[in-house]
Amino acid sequence: MSADSKGFLASFDYLDSTVDAIENLRKAGFKEIKAYAPYPEHHIEAALGYGQSPVRVFTLVGGLTGAATGFAFTTWTSMDWPLVVGGKPIVSIPAYVVIAFEMTVLFGALATVIGLFILSRLPDLKPSVVYDPEFSSGRYGVYVEAAAERADEARRILDAEDPAELREGEEVADV
Amino acid sequence: MTDGIKRRDFLKVVGAGSAGATLTGCSTEQVERLIPYVVPPEDITPGVATWYTTVCDGCSAQCGMWVRTREGRVVKLEGNPEHPVSGGALCSRGHASLQHLYNPDRYTGPMIREDGELRPATWEEAEDLLAQEIQSAGGNVLFIGGHMGPSMNRLVSDFLGAVGGNRVQYEAISDAPLRAAAQMAFGHDVLPRYDIEHAGFLMSFGDDFIESGASPVAYQRQYARMASADDHGAKGKFVFVGPRLSLTGQNADEWIPIRPGGEAALALGMANVIAAGGGNAGPYASVLAAYDVGTAAQMSGVSESTIRDLADRFVSEGPGLALGPGVGGHHRNATGAHLAALILNAVAGSVGRTVHLEGGPRSASAPYADMEAAIGAMADEQVGVVMVHGTNPAYSLPTVSGFNDAFTSVGFKVSFSSAPDETSAMADLILPDRHFLESWGDSMPMDGVMALRQPVMQAVPYFDSKQAGDVLLSVAARNGANLGAATFYDFLRAQHQASHEPAMGDFESAWRRTLKTGVAMHAGAMETGAAAALRPLDSAITFDAPSFDGDGDFVLLVHPSPRFGAGELSNSPWMLELPDPVSKITWHSWLEMHPHAAEARGIREGDIVTVASDQGSVDVPVWLYPGIREDAVALAMGGGHTDFGRWATGNGVNAMDLLPAVTEQPSGAMVTVATTVTVSPTGERRRLATPEGSDDQHDRPIAPAVALADLGHEDESHEEGGHGELQELQGGGGFLPVPAEGGAPEAFPLEGARYGEYATAHEGPRWAMAIDLDKCTGCSACVTACQAENNVPWVGEEQVLMGREMHWMRIERYYEHVDATEASHLDVRFLPMLCQHCGNAPCEPVCPVFATYHTPEGVNAQVYNRCVGTRYCANNCPYKVRVFNWYRYTDENVPEPMNWQWNPDVTVRTNGVMEKCSFCMQRIREAENQAALEEGRPVRDGEIVPACEQSCPAEAIVFGNVRDPESRVSQVVANERTYRVLDELINTQPAVNYLKKVTFHEVQSGGHE
Amino acid sequence: MATSTATERGALTHPDVEQLSDVNRDVLKILSKPGKGWWILFLIASAGVGMFLGSWAWQVYRGIGVSGLNAPVGWGVYITTFVFWVGIAHSGTLISAILFLFRAPWRQSIYRAAEAMTVFAVMTAGLFPLIHVGRLWHAYWLIPYPNSRFLWPNFKSPLVWDVFAVTTYFTVSAVFFYLGTVPDIAAARDGSKGLRKKLYSVISLGWRGTDRQWHHFGKAYIFLAALATPLVLSVHSVVSWDFAMAIVPGWHATIFAPYFVAGAIFSGVAMVITLTVVMRKVFGLEAYLTTKHYDAMAKLCLLTSLIVLYAYLSEFFMAWYSGEEIERTAFWNRLFGDYWWATWIMLTCNGLVPIMLWFKRIRHSIPALFVISIFINIGMWFERYVIVVTSLHHEFEPWAWGIYRPSLTEMGIMVGSFAWFGFWFLLFTRLLPPVAIAELKEVLPPPMRKRTKEAHS
Repeated sequence: MSADSKGFLASFDYLDSTVDAIENLRKAGFKEIKAYAPYPEHHIEAALGYGQSPVRVFTLVGGLTGAATGFAFTTWTSMDWPLVVGGKPIVSIPAYVVIAFEMTVLFGALATVIGLFILSRLPDLKPSVVYDPEFSSGRYGVYVEAAAERADEARRILDAEDPAELREGEEVADV
Repeated sequence: MTDGIKRRDFLKVVGAGSAGATLTGCSTEQVERLIPYVVPPEDITPGVATWYTTVCDGCSAQCGMWVRTREGRVVKLEGNPEHPVSGGALCSRGHASLQHLYNPDRYTGPMIREDGELRPATWEEAEDLLAQEIQSAGGNVLFIGGHMGPSMNRLVSDFLGAVGGNRVQYEAISDAPLRAAAQMAFGHDVLPRYDIEHAGFLMSFGDDFIESGASPVAYQRQYARMASADDHGAKGKFVFVGPRLSLTGQNADEWIPIRPGGEAALALGMANVIAAGGGNAGPYASVLAAYDVGTAAQMSGVSESTIRDLADRFVSEGPGLALGPGVGGHHRNATGAHLAALILNAVAGSVGRTVHLEGGPRSASAPYADMEAAIGAMADEQVGVVMVHGTNPAYSLPTVSGFNDAFTSVGFKVSFSSAPDETSAMADLILPDRHFLESWGDSMPMDGVMALRQPVMQAVPYFDSKQAGDVLLSVAARNGANLGAATFYDFLRAQHQASHEPAMGDFESAWRRTLKTGVAMHAGAMETGAAAALRPLDSAITFDAPSFDGDGDFVLLVHPSPRFGAGELSNSPWMLELPDPVSKITWHSWLEMHPHAAEARGIREGDIVTVASDQGSVDVPVWLYPGIREDAVALAMGGGHTDFGRWATGNGVNAMDLLPAVTEQPSGAMVTVATTVTVSPTGERRRLATPEGSDDQHDRPIAPAVALADLGHEDESHEEGGHGELQELQGGGGFLPVPAEGGAPEAFPLEGARYGEYATAHEGPRWAMAIDLDKCTGCSACVTACQAENNVPWVGEEQVLMGREMHWMRIERYYEHVDATEASHLDVRFLPMLCQHCGNAPCEPVCPVFATYHTPEGVNAQVYNRCVGTRYCANNCPYKVRVFNWYRYTDENVPEPMNWQWNPDVTVRTNGVMEKCSFCMQRIREAENQAALEEGRPVRDGEIVPACEQSCPAEAIVFGNVRDPESRVSQVVANERTYRVLDELINTQPAVNYLKKVTFHEVQSGGHE
Repeated sequence: MATSTATERGALTHPDVEQLSDVNRDVLKILSKPGKGWWILFLIASAGVGMFLGSWAWQVYRGIGVSGLNAPVGWGVYITTFVFWVGIAHSGTLISAILFLFRAPWRQSIYRAAEAMTVFAVMTAGLFPLIHVGRLWHAYWLIPYPNSRFLWPNFKSPLVWDVFAVTTYFTVSAVFFYLGTVPDIAAARDGSKGLRKKLYSVISLGWRGTDRQWHHFGKAYIFLAALATPLVLSVHSVVSWDFAMAIVPGWHATIFAPYFVAGAIFSGVAMVITLTVVMRKVFGLEAYLTTKHYDAMAKLCLLTSLIVLYAYLSEFFMAWYSGEEIERTAFWNRLFGDYWWATWIMLTCNGLVPIMLWFKRIRHSIPALFVISIFINIGMWFERYVIVVTSLHHEFEPWAWGIYRPSLTEMGIMVGSFAWFGFWFLLFTRLLPPVAIAELKEVLPPPMRKRTKEAHS
């Protein structure tokens, strides 16, 4: 990214303006687009053309690990010091299914959370200029970066949807 | 049993010749400061038990005992197998006498009363005082003594001879009427010896020979042998005649609920029938003539047909044996009733077969009349000094007897009681005697049997006691009389040396041998003489129904307690918490009353009623009992102590407050069934402290029975619960042994472990137990034995009320058929319930931490240290034999020095852990180790004897290895009567096998079969 | 979340809520100023917690004997209350996860409270196994950890299953709860200043509501919900197996798992009603908690009450039909034995009272629902009491039958546990948005510039 590129942050009161703005920017070939919303808005995701999230891979792997661990651990501990109780076999798989199940869920859930954190870069505690408290309340936001020569075009596209506010940054905020 | 003896022999039962050992027992300081023996005393190897023989003084039966000591402390009492009376067994009271040795309330030393207050004194001081008091009394001494051994008896006589004075023997529980009757009938002044074992038709006219009377352990053993079905399906019959079912009564096959005092008429009526049928009535023919069936029926209230039937069977199913009213049935004509029973025996030809006049028990049989005279003498202030030894008349005499006033009127009163009692409370001088486990002595339980009593441990150091014999000797010496010995030990030896029979080798070795074996049989012991002929009636005697004072609606039956006797053992928590064998009530007193009688008066169980006679009244809760006549109520002795130690004092009521002070003629015995009483509700209620949930089996296969007629029919027995082979799990899996070395973690998993096996080979023992319910009498000796052996704490009345009793073993008592309105068959079932050590133990898999699991030897192990206390195992135990430590019972309930009794081989459990029967694992290991150590061989069958089996007077319990087809337990289990509780219902595969009770009547359908 | 569909749009319509920011306004004001009501409740709760901890301390010091437990009744009020609280927990997960997967829009306004309830209920329940063991100081032995004794827990024991089920349940529902709250904490952050702002900035993990965050967040949330759903069913099944795996007559039944799960949801929903009705009043949330929601919850109660009633009846039927004397006695004793009163309380509260829910007028009367929900809570506590105590006190051995009387200490701990639960719940309502902000916005009609034009451009 060249040093003389600009960043535009537009806040919208309306969903449709936000969506239109995003779509027009993408049509115009802008790549670095970032949207903000106070709640999960699938229209915005659609406009940005999102596909499947890889979180599910984490969940699957976590779950399988849990199941395996559950069976392996219970069986090994039983063999480690075999004690007969109630005339049952030392290794009683049916009883261990419960443990295995619980560990599947536990590992699966934790893996999912880890996956989420990695993919969506959370936690992210350093303050960022490119944000408006309104985004967690009632407004949508669109941030776009444009090289100096295309700055005007970007501004025009955003203005077309009359944003409640339009901020420009000389230097690109690290987002 | 014999194998058991071998084992113990080789454990060196040492005599007191080498019993210097006993004097070097570790004293408290040593224990507390943990100073090791610098010079190890001989006979004491730390960690190894030393056994001594002595004689139990719990009652006048004088059973021989083996005493187990550890590091110089007595920890357990057991029967001496070589002693003809105990035969290796011991009753609950015998076990509990140990708690009186360690009784924390014992006098700490001699006491002298000064201006009303007792103050500690030195023995010097005390003996001087006694000596001069006797001097000043000018030979006017009265010695009131209880039952005592020959040498002590002799010493007392010599003493009184020297210092001048007379003595009375007073025994609260006395067989005087029987003795008088024997005198009249046969001219022998003895107690007859009943050969119960060889009787075919036993009739007890109220004799509670199982729990009280002449010789409980011996007679119970004989009874069990006689009454249990043998391999040929033969079984002796027992008919109980009496107004109330005692424990003995509950064991009977038939019950004749006769009106109090009706026994004589019934016995004579039967004798009449038998005589008519050719029996020899001898000089009593005329007497019998007066008791034709009609008269007898009318006098006894028993139907003619019943009398005839009984008479026929008494002969045809004989040899018959009739026992007169026992110590619990002394009414105004007790001697007559006894005589009638003896006549019945004689007429039926039982004398010489089942009734012997030789070798009879030398049990308490002194007449109360002497005491009455003594009271008179004291009241008239003809007595200067009164000495009381080994008895507690102030408590055990009727309150109206006037003893207390008479006693207090005596100038100087001396008590030898080792612990506070009602009599010593009034004494001016207290010379605490040694407990019998700390003292020398001898006993002659029956003709020709001589047993020695020796100190089995150093006298408990907390209590500065001195043996009464030594006191008498030194007091006599102070008054210038020489009784021929300095100490009682010397006196004792001298006595025996004098009576020594050369036939028994030189005296010294005979003495040693006797100390070692605990008993010496003299010539003529137990020999059976010829039938003695009846002598004509020489004194006035009546067979009429006795009279009862007052005009109450109920006859009051006062009987000795199976737990406390006449109250001597009332301060033992073991006895207090042991459920009474009849009522199953613990701690407090109760009044037995028939449900119908109670209903008629609007009385419910637990109502506190006022029982009033002309002499006094007591308030006591009611227990409804179908086993007592509707016109009688019963109260046990032993409650209501006013000064007897922390547990006994103020607990329950004393029946003696209600009794008149009358003597029975001609025997002079005290009359305990003397008065009628009125029963009126006070309006108050209380819950009875009983572990009993329900006395009805609810048709469940818990204590089934089988009719004698059905025995031998395989198909019959197969329909019933829990038959068949004891399956081994997983093809022998669960129970196979791990080599001791294999215990190392890296050795696991053992081969085949995943299939529920410890190993693959079929070797090593599987411990199991067999209990014959046809023998079990419900006497509960096993319960106390288990408590003593396994450090089982007592929890106290209020905890029992909460359902928290801790016994590892309990005797369940279920009624099947009990009818107090007419003569009919009787069916009461006893079931000793302990951990069943199930193969499929439901308690094991639910424990989250493996605190309970199955050992390779098939034992259901409980690991106290691992227990977290979820109590899941107890919930899941269908037998409810797991008990939980809700508090620190072992710390909080057990004062010094009672904790000296703890068995060092068994963990003392703490707060919050589950516990239960371990099959006496410590005894199993001890036997195994001994065998391996001394002879490098595996343990033999019979060498391992759990506390319950060891103690059982009925020989109902057998323990051993079921894998060994030769073992006793395997043999017994092979019996067709074998079943396992609830097994066929929930497949728990218990290791405890029961043999069904055998009944003469058809058993009802349902679970009972 | 990214799953909302056109059908949900406008699910929430109320005159007072015109635009998205109104939601922030209404919800965040709860955090700002506690009313008098809150303080009163909080003080009561704190006092109760004192009693709770005091009684427990006394028991640990003196011994478990201070309870009324005995042989044969080794489990009593403690286990009863344990099962009760685990049950309460369930409806939280049901509402937040299962209803979420089933796309029930009415869940949005109540699920946050329900989920918090879950977390605190499990937290409370988790204490009871500890309270009831004889040696608290050794309770950690149930947790598998390598030790010098080479001893591990017995994984065949339902109690160890419990340890795993309950801890897993607590972890997962806590994570689920926290994750769902993050965007709302961000909202709280942006709406506050000073110390609170600092705190919220940290625990909101720097959430900014960017497209990427929402995207993965949505997926993760679905998977968590998908995991939580079988989990919630398993947990109460495992709890029911504490009983069903034993051979005790009255416990040993195959119907227990579904029966307990239904009962759990039944009691849980009732508890949600109780709590939200109070919140609604105290925080003035009438706009977000409407009769529509209560009607839906009432229907859920009605359904589960029918399942539970069916379970009761089938138990009695099977006892009779089995012809097994011991089983029959157990259930006869349940109805007419020493604890008949407990059984009839249970049947009345859980079987009869909910019949009223058939009527729309009652479902729509919030006071009526409040009362009924209280009855249901009582009834469900007694259901567990009946199962635990009446089964144990009359088992196989008639001789060993016994009676159990709860002690004051037990009562103190049981009542105290409600205060303990309330204590945390009250703190939650003050520190975290008790109503889901973002989710509510999903179901509001989205703001459009060109009203005529449909959002799908």
